[in-house]
Amino acid sequence: MDIKGIRTEDRALLDVLKSAIVALEEGEALGAAEKVVAAGIDAKLALRYAIAEAAAIVGAKFDCGEYFLPQLVISGDLMDAVSKILEKNIPQADVEKKKIIVIGTVQADVHSVGKNLVATMLKSGGFQVVDLGVDVASASFIEKAKDLNADMIALSSLLTTTMPYQREVIDDLASMGIRDRFKVLIGGGPVTEEYAGKIGADGYGRDAIDAVEVAKKLLAVE
Amino acid sequence: MGLTLSDILQRSKEGPIIEEKQFDMSIYKKTQELQKKYSIKYDPGNPLDKTGEIADQVYQAGRELFLDIGAYSATTRRAVKVTEKELDDAIAACPEVIELGQGSDKVKMAHRSVEGTEYPVVVAGIQTAPFSDESMMYTIYRLCAMDRSVDGLWGGILLKIDGKHEVIAGTPSEIYQYSKTISVLRRAIEAAGRPGMITISNAPTAPATIAMFDEQDGLRRSDYIESTGMSEMKVAYDDLSRSAYGLAQGIPIHGTHSSVIGGFSATPEGAAIVSVAASFQLVAVHRSVCFRCGAVDSRIKSRVTRGQLWVAGTAIQGLNRNTRLIVDGSIGDHPAAGPGTKQYLYESAAGHIVSTVMGAHSTEGTRKYVVGNTCNYGTPLESRWMGEVCKASVGMDRKQAEKIVKFLLEKYENNLKDAPAGDTFENLYDQRSLEPVPGYQKLYDEVKAELGNLGLKFRQ
Repeated sequence: MDIKGIRTEDRALLDVLKSAIVALEEGEALGAAEKVVAAGIDAKLALRYAIAEAAAIVGAKFDCGEYFLPQLVISGDLMDAVSKILEKNIPQADVEKKKIIVIGTVQADVHSVGKNLVATMLKSGGFQVVDLGVDVASASFIEKAKDLNADMIALSSLLTTTMPYQREVIDDLASMGIRDRFKVLIGGGPVTEEYAGKIGADGYGRDAIDAVEVAKKLLAVE
Repeated sequence: MGLTLSDILQRSKEGPIIEEKQFDMSIYKKTQELQKKYSIKYDPGNPLDKTGEIADQVYQAGRELFLDIGAYSATTRRAVKVTEKELDDAIAACPEVIELGQGSDKVKMAHRSVEGTEYPVVVAGIQTAPFSDESMMYTIYRLCAMDRSVDGLWGGILLKIDGKHEVIAGTPSEIYQYSKTISVLRRAIEAAGRPGMITISNAPTAPATIAMFDEQDGLRRSDYIESTGMSEMKVAYDDLSRSAYGLAQGIPIHGTHSSVIGGFSATPEGAAIVSVAASFQLVAVHRSVCFRCGAVDSRIKSRVTRGQLWVAGTAIQGLNRNTRLIVDGSIGDHPAAGPGTKQYLYESAAGHIVSTVMGAHSTEGTRKYVVGNTCNYGTPLESRWMGEVCKASVGMDRKQAEKIVKFLLEKYENNLKDAPAGDTFENLYDQRSLEPVPGYQKLYDEVKAELGNLGLKFRQ
């Protein structure tokens, strides 16, 4: 990201913050965030630079096998904590609202590994993720998405006989006249892009990393 | 009297409440500690532990992990913990041998030792895969059953009732269709002249799985019922319902669990520790008398990456060196490549060699890792391969097995993310003669000759 306009010492501070998040150093990251606030660095710039770039590096480390799911969980929590510090001087109305994604494994399916990975990667990617767990009924997805005024519903299915539940959510949204309120992203072992198109999903995630890219594209997130 | 299913259910209601995320992270933290404490180190240059030293450490670490954190009841959101004495009693109460199948098709599934000379039980067939129609399903099953290199067969499913109505898990259609189609498997084994052969199937939900048991037309008490542990180290009431039915009806319970490389196990070392810990979960919590010990990789859709071979092989070896339990490996059951390709045969062989040499059986069928809605995505030749490789690996030592496995890894490990899709039964078998098409048979024979030259002792 281009941040040429800022002072060298401010950039150095942001780099310390970014590196601490990537290294999962909680104390160092929180301390660096406080220093960023004290130095009066534009919080929005700090969020875009340090957090977004840290998230990209963590994602790349996962992709190449250097980081695993626990590190994604730790970095996601750390990014939340750092964001809270950076945002404390921004008026509530000016805080950039994260896009909300409601995610879960569909009804009658208890597979959680892929869904957990996608949920964690989405969180690291800057989304607010609400994970409803496994064996989630269509009504529960829709109710939660409506309650939170979510932007997207993400549906995982690992069995050919539970894939119809992905279609059910889309059909239910249409029946309720609210299909356009939420983007729907689907994925899972037997699910294909072709199937996503056939049932009217907005997007298909081949794997966790791809799901984040597709979600960003669908929700117009940088 | 040792720990009972009722005790487990009681604990799942009264055990300590714990957030799922906290439990997940405790797996990571504890396995990190344990791999240091027991000096467990995975060396990709040595995909098999040839002395058993690491396997023994993995065994101890897995035992400590299970006793420390227990299993997580996903239904009640509580930890289910077991004492050391209860675990030892549960292990001691497990039989060293069980009988599966009936009449002249009956086989003994016994504890096997590392590099053991007893034949493993092989249950092949295109595991839980979709078929286009009943006639095709029957034909493929019958051809698989005729092959004497396998001891049992897995069933699959027809995705439409009467070719029209969709089968959806958790609805009456699931119970109806699984109950109806299991009879096709029974008819096929009878037509193949092996009426007593082991038949296995597993539906998405417990009610549909239980509904498949019928001595006349379905699964029998002489088969096993599968009770799956959710990854990682979790159990749901749906799984325990299967165990409950098995216990009440006297059906052997076969547990399965996969640790996840890249998941909360994190590293291959962590995944090996979790594979052992989850095996104890399957014995103590699910009440399994035999179980599948294995791993998946969160990034690659194959069960035979270099890391997975080490994880499963080491965990199986640890269990077989330190207990008399009946361990199932089946590491080569889900290749990335599809049927009709050399890569499928290479991947399958690598997994089944490790599984057999480390003292496991292979009862989890044959299938490309992802089949989706593609019907008839497999042939009897993959079943034969599984049986031939498992039986040809018997008596081989770990050093020789590693040499062959390294050869195989070189053939496929760079092609796992972009593996060839292969083809369906219609294109791989002549539909009139019901024999493999010449190209597929030739490819099979070439790979068999290749592995024979490396030391696999095929029966013919």
